[in-house]
Parts: sequence; C-alpha cells; structure tokens
Amino acid sequence: MTSRGWVKRFFGSAQAGLLFVILLLGGLLTAFAGSHIDRATGASVNNFLNSNTLIQVATDASFFAIMAVGATIVIVSGGIDLSVGSIYALCGVSMAMLLRAHPLSDAWSVLTALTVCLVIGLLCGALNGAMVVGLRVHPFIITLGSMWILRGLAFVASRAESILVPPALTAVAKHSLGLADTLYPVPMLVMVLTAVLGSVYLERTVMGRHVFALGGNAEASRFAGLRLGRIQLGVFVLSGVAAGLAAFLGASFYGSASCGDATGYELYVIASAVVGGASLSGGKGSAVNAMLGALLIVLIRQSIRTLRFDQNYEWIIIGCAIIVAVVLDQQSARLTARRLRPKD
Amino acid sequence: MPRSRPSVALLSAAALAFVLACTSQAPAPQASAAKKKNLKIALIAKSSTNPVFLSARVGAEAAAKELNAQHGLQIEVAWLTPPQEDGQVQAQRIAQAVNEGADAILLSSSDAGKLKGAVDDAVSRGVAVMTFDSDVPLSKRFAFYGADDLKTGAQTMAELAQQLNGKGKVAILCGNQNAPNLQKRVQGAKDEAAKHPGITIVGSFPHIETPQDAAAEVIRVMNAYPEIEGWAMIGGWPLFTSTLLDQLDPKRVKVVAVDGLPAELAYVEKGIAPVLLAQPTYKWGHVGVTTIVDKLYFAKAAPEIVPMELVRVSQDNLREWAQQLKDWGFTDVAPHLLAPPAAK
Repeated sequence: MTSRGWVKRFFGSAQAGLLFVILLLGGLLTAFAGSHIDRATGASVNNFLNSNTLIQVATDASFFAIMAVGATIVIVSGGIDLSVGSIYALCGVSMAMLLRAHPLSDAWSVLTALTVCLVIGLLCGALNGAMVVGLRVHPFIITLGSMWILRGLAFVASRAESILVPPALTAVAKHSLGLADTLYPVPMLVMVLTAVLGSVYLERTVMGRHVFALGGNAEASRFAGLRLGRIQLGVFVLSGVAAGLAAFLGASFYGSASCGDATGYELYVIASAVVGGASLSGGKGSAVNAMLGALLIVLIRQSIRTLRFDQNYEWIIIGCAIIVAVVLDQQSARLTARRLRPKD
Repeated sequence: MPRSRPSVALLSAAALAFVLACTSQAPAPQASAAKKKNLKIALIAKSSTNPVFLSARVGAEAAAKELNAQHGLQIEVAWLTPPQEDGQVQAQRIAQAVNEGADAILLSSSDAGKLKGAVDDAVSRGVAVMTFDSDVPLSKRFAFYGADDLKTGAQTMAELAQQLNGKGKVAILCGNQNAPNLQKRVQGAKDEAAKHPGITIVGSFPHIETPQDAAAEVIRVMNAYPEIEGWAMIGGWPLFTSTLLDQLDPKRVKVVAVDGLPAELAYVEKGIAPVLLAQPTYKWGHVGVTTIVDKLYFAKAAPEIVPMELVRVSQDNLREWAQQLKDWGFTDVAPHLLAPPAAK
C-alpha cells in the first residue's frame, strides 16, 4: 500500500477519532496548564507537556487499560465481566502472601509473582466462563456474584492487611529502561504491548473472528457450527489473565497488595471499552481503542486537576464525557453507514 | 469488523519515539525550596467525602492565609484529595503534585504500603513530604502530626468501660480496615478491653468510610447483636448523620467515639455519646502547613513526630467546644449550642 493509502486508511480508522480527541485535550492542557520552575535546571517547565507527566498519565491508565483489553474481548463476544477488579485484588494478594511466606531470590520472585498472578487470573476467568456456560446464566449475574466472592476471598485470605511485595518486583515495574531515573515507562509499554496483542488476537486470528461472530449474531454462529461454549469460556479466561497481568504490574509498581485494590475499577474498565467504541450488545470493539479510551478517561481526570477545576466535579465530568463519547461514536457510525449505503 | 493495522503501527511508533525522546532528559537532583516566597503545598487527605478532612483543608488554607499576611509569602494550598479512599490513587496524586512543581506535600495515607514508594520518589525529587492523621512510617517523610493511635484506641475503650461501669458487651466500629492508623486504634481498643474482665467484644466491624455507610453498618450490627450495650467508634463516621439519634436508645446503648465535629454534638446532648474524643482536625491542616513552612522557608528543624492531643468532649464542655469549632470556620454548628446557657 502507498504511503498516501496508509494515511487515508488511518484517518478512516476507528482509532482516528479517539486519537484526535486525546491530542486535542492534550493541546488544551498544554496551553492552559501553566508552568513551574524546574528545581534542577531553573528552567520553566510546562505543567502538562513534560515527560514525567506524560508517562505518569500513561502509567495511571495502564492498570485498567490492560484490564480493559481483556474486558473488551468479553464485550465483543456479547458478554460482560464485572469481576475484573476483584480478580486484580485476589491475584495481587495471593502473590504477595505467597512471596512473603516463601522468600525467593530476585529473579525467582519476579517469575513466581508473574506466574501466580497469571494463573490465578486464568483460574478466576475459567470459573466465570464455566459458570456462564454451565449454568446458562447471563454473564452480568455470574460476574456480579464472582465480583463479591473473589473480593471476599482476598479479604479473608489477607485479613485486610496491605502486604508488601519484594523490592525486586518494584525494581522491575519501576525500571527506567535507560531513561531518566524519575521516569518509569514499564507499565506504559506493557499496556501498549497488551493492546497490540489484544488487537492481533481479535482482528487477525480465527479465534478472534469467532468472538466477533458470537457477539454479532449468536444464533447464526451456532448454525455455522461454532462451539459457542468454548468461545465464551475462552473470552473470560483472557479477561482473567489480563486482570492478573494488571495485578502483577500494579502490586509491583506500588509495592504492596491489599484486598481493597482496584475497588470500583470494573466501571472504569467498562467505561474505557465503551468510550473506545465497544458495543455492549456485542459484535463491536477494539483492543487498541479500549486502551485509548482508558487514556482519555485518565486525561480527563488529570485535566480537572491540572486546569484547577474544583475536583469535586470529577465524577460529573467523567460521566458526561462517557455519554458524549458514546453518542458521538454512534452518530459517526450512522453517518458512515449512510455514506456507504448504495445510492438508488 | 474494524481493521487497525495502520493505527497499531502508528501507536507503536509514537510510543517508541516518545520513549527515545525521554532519554535526553537529565534526572532532577534534590534541591531545597528554602527561602522561596511562593510555596505550593499539595494537600492529599484520604477522602474528600469525609468531613474531618474538609476541616483539615480549612485549617491548611487558614494557616496559608495567616503566613502570607505575616511574612509576605505566597503560599498556595492545592487540594488533591481523592473522592474515595484509594491508596493507589493517592500515589498517583503524589506523582502529579511533584510533576506540577509542588514544593511540599501534606498527606494522610490510606495505605502505607502503597504510598511508601511514591513518598520516597517525591522526596528524592526534592519535594518535602509531611504526613498527618495516618502515617507512612517507613518512608522518607520528614514529620508526622497526629495522635498516638494505640493510645487513642485504648482511651476510647477505657472511656466506654467507664460509662458501662466496667461490664457489658461492646462492639468496635473500625472504618477502612486497610488504613494503618485505624488498625492501630482497633488494636489499642482490644488491648484495653482485655484489661476489663467485665467487657466482652462481640466483634470489630469495618465499613466504607462514608457517614451513611457507617450508620447503616451500625444499624445492621445492632439488629444482628441486640445484646450490644456499647460502641467504641474509633472514628466518628456514623455520628456525622442524624440517623442514629432515633435508632440508639441512650438508656440501653452508650457510644464513645473519636472525633468531635458539629454533627456529632447532638449525640452528646442526647446522652447517646456521653464522651467524644475530639481530634482537632483543623490543626491537621494548620499545624501541617505551619510545620512545612517552618522547614522550607525558615529552615527550622521539625521533630519527626509532632504529637497531637485529643480533646475530651462531654456535656461539661460541650458549649466551649462548639464555640471552638465555630471559631475554626465550621458553619454547621447548632446555633443553640453557641448561645449562652439559659439561666436555671
């Protein structure tokens, strides 16, 4: 494809609108954020457009953006996963407790922590999927129940303690990767990698196309011979694994895990997917867009404080932004559909 | 089905370019803000829906105003308290304050484990951090202002035991079970109860730290354990509502609670809470800002622990305390408590 073709295709892509809004908001923040004097150099530094703030915004978004990638796969399949925040808490707490009880060398600590988080996430996801398929109950109800069960397990297991994780984990999550010592790009890079992997899975693999098919029309998929139970199980497993990965990263970055971690994050996760254009009725969604949705939500939160708005209005502004984003997306989809409709 | 190859590639390239751009940034060495006349202090309390932290804000802003007038300073207090308790969000707010050029941070920690790294990062970037109410003891913060929590818990239970003449079944209202200061208060209360053979603790009950959630928890527990004769409330959350004025019979149940905000005074009047152990929460902000300015502007050394004494509020000094609250800027003190007592 020619470079002109790529550009044309990019501006016609689903991501272009979100990227435009993010860049617009970033531009506004840069213009109105004000500046401060850098302690080291004495130079004036923009309060928003500096590498520390940009990486901080990406880091803040990364934990629920990673979960949003998994949750988007579930949403594309026509389901919903309300338990991701609780899976996050259970994975973090279990990993921290295990490493506290059995101290290991640095490398083994990191490997064990990652494995434990991913495996527990996988098991929780499999449990959700098995119940949805086996009991034939709507995922909303199953994951609403498992949200409380898993949070309760984390609470009982940890006795509400905030458990410190070994410093080796924090050293990995806060590695500067050769940047300035105060920059921590690892969560951001893991977020981007997860979004790319999620995107490849959804859009470039047969399994991903099956997920779209299930969400788009379950009956047609059944008649086409797709094994719907297996697909449903798979999407919940992926969502659980994504939550486990986010838990590993979050507990490592912040240095501890507790049963209260990620409380209420399921709503941010779903909001990220929806702002990213996922349809709650299934059949539509994008992993990259979910990440951009998470970034947009964090950017809105950031802007409330950076622009010195009364931060008590945060929830109102985020709520309005979600509704506006979804309405604009729907309008855009309608316009596109009208444009593509063959003329009589 | 969306296609996203160009945008995935673009995003990856943008992320890579951004990371490479960051490599040119030099690390910011520690620098002192001493003698700087314009100081920005970020106030990060646990939750902006808890009235005790709103009074801390009033105190901080009053201290800033006084110091500005007395010494020609330009102190700005930036309120960065999250709407709900969340250690992770507090860590993000600390990073944001540092990135936006704050000179100091005044912090009440929701989760000491989660905040240690963020506090240490802030200090290593030249930002002074002081804690109040709930400490991050293993961090590099320069000072802590607050009550001795073990002693506070013990004092609460000792007062309750005295009100019950040394015997009875009691419950402990715990608040957020992850907050280290509250865990210590609960421990202090339990240790003290062990010294009173006639006192039996039926349970310790955590809850979401909003007045309504706390009041609902008290009602639920009273229904489940009708034999309860006393409540040791290590925070005054449920008494910030008027709900329990009708729900608790002062002849049957006695409450001793930490905190003494205007809404709680009705419980003292009615005899439901014969004793409140008031934290001068206004001083959290006032002493915090004063101590920070002493360190940064006047270069005075601060003690690592600045002890805060509780004020015992009962029928005997109710009016004086009400007047004190009024003087500290509380606007919701019941007018009849401010009027001189009627002659008998």
